[in-house]
Amino acid sequence: MSSLLQAFVDGFINPLTTPAHVLVLLALALLLARQPQRYAVLLVFALALAAGFVAIVLAVETTPARTVLLAAAAALGVMVAAASAPKPLAWLLAAVVGGALALDSPPQAVTITEAYATLGGAAVGACAMLVLVAAIAGHVKAEWQRLGIRILGSWIAASAILVLAVQLRLTE
Amino acid sequence: MRDHEHSNIADALGVALVAAMVLVSEPARAHIVDGSATGGFLGGFAHPLFGLDHVVAMVAVGLWGTFLGPPAIWLLPITFPMVMALGGAIAILGVPVPGVEIGIASSAIVLGGMIALAARPPLIIAALIVGAFAIFHGHAHGAELPPGSDAVAFSVGFVMATGLLHLAGIAFGLLTRWPAGRIGVRAAGVGIALVGALFLSKAI
Repeated sequence: MSSLLQAFVDGFINPLTTPAHVLVLLALALLLARQPQRYAVLLVFALALAAGFVAIVLAVETTPARTVLLAAAAALGVMVAAASAPKPLAWLLAAVVGGALALDSPPQAVTITEAYATLGGAAVGACAMLVLVAAIAGHVKAEWQRLGIRILGSWIAASAILVLAVQLRLTE
Repeated sequence: MRDHEHSNIADALGVALVAAMVLVSEPARAHIVDGSATGGFLGGFAHPLFGLDHVVAMVAVGLWGTFLGPPAIWLLPITFPMVMALGGAIAILGVPVPGVEIGIASSAIVLGGMIALAARPPLIIAALIVGAFAIFHGHAHGAELPPGSDAVAFSVGFVMATGLLHLAGIAFGLLTRWPAGRIGVRAAGVGIALVGALFLSKAI
């Protein structure tokens, strides 16, 4: 496999294997599934993701992106659990998650070209996961399945709250 | 008559088994953790399963939810993990909560008692009772979150295991649709309360 392709695959896998990224993407996807303008929210997420990657290319220093991601996961989880998703808040959180996810995915590449390939892979991987999970969750019709999604939302919120506390403790 | 004798023997064996498990087990503690995500997840998943006091209380939340019926059947399992996480966060941030072990043992006694008596308080009262106990359970587990583990994976595993215990309680509680099942579930409530009483005697 060429180094460029390998870099792309590494980037693609990154949001699918980093637990904090999986948590927040899952929560956002479950929220997206309940949004009538699902693809518009997805576009906001993608634009914010792109902006975050531009910031990485411009060599932005270390940021509290992981903490922001976990706070967003907690908020999204609560919204999914409550089955309540005010449109402005959903759009805002999509933008926050997109930007923070990008800033929390700095590429470990040797060359600039490989770094771009890694960032591209990460963007495709994150968007693919969002679209796939939102599509599956959007097809849920039975009442017990809807409740299952709400329970999943509460689990995501609970996990994120615990990890946020660990992060805050570490930064003290 | 013969069936009745068998039932008594089975009950006695059941009580003896539970008592033996309580005597040999410790309050919620288990550390199968390494620094990897997989190790963190497995460690977190195992954590609530190795404390009998925690297990019976979590099953009791699901059981009581089914006794109370909708919306409690889904509201309690949705709210419990989030309130429990707040308790865990309090512990991680180093804020002490007095009488945690007593609170956990009491949760089994109270929830088991509610099930045994088929108590149906208003939903807000039930949610407050369950929420208050969730703080104790969360605090105990948050205080034991092992350093060096993958915190996200550990927390996901821990919350999932707790949620699955609720679901196990709900599944068992669905037996209340049949008269014999109602008796079985209420008997389980008695068992849960007894386990709580045994742990309380150890905690005091």
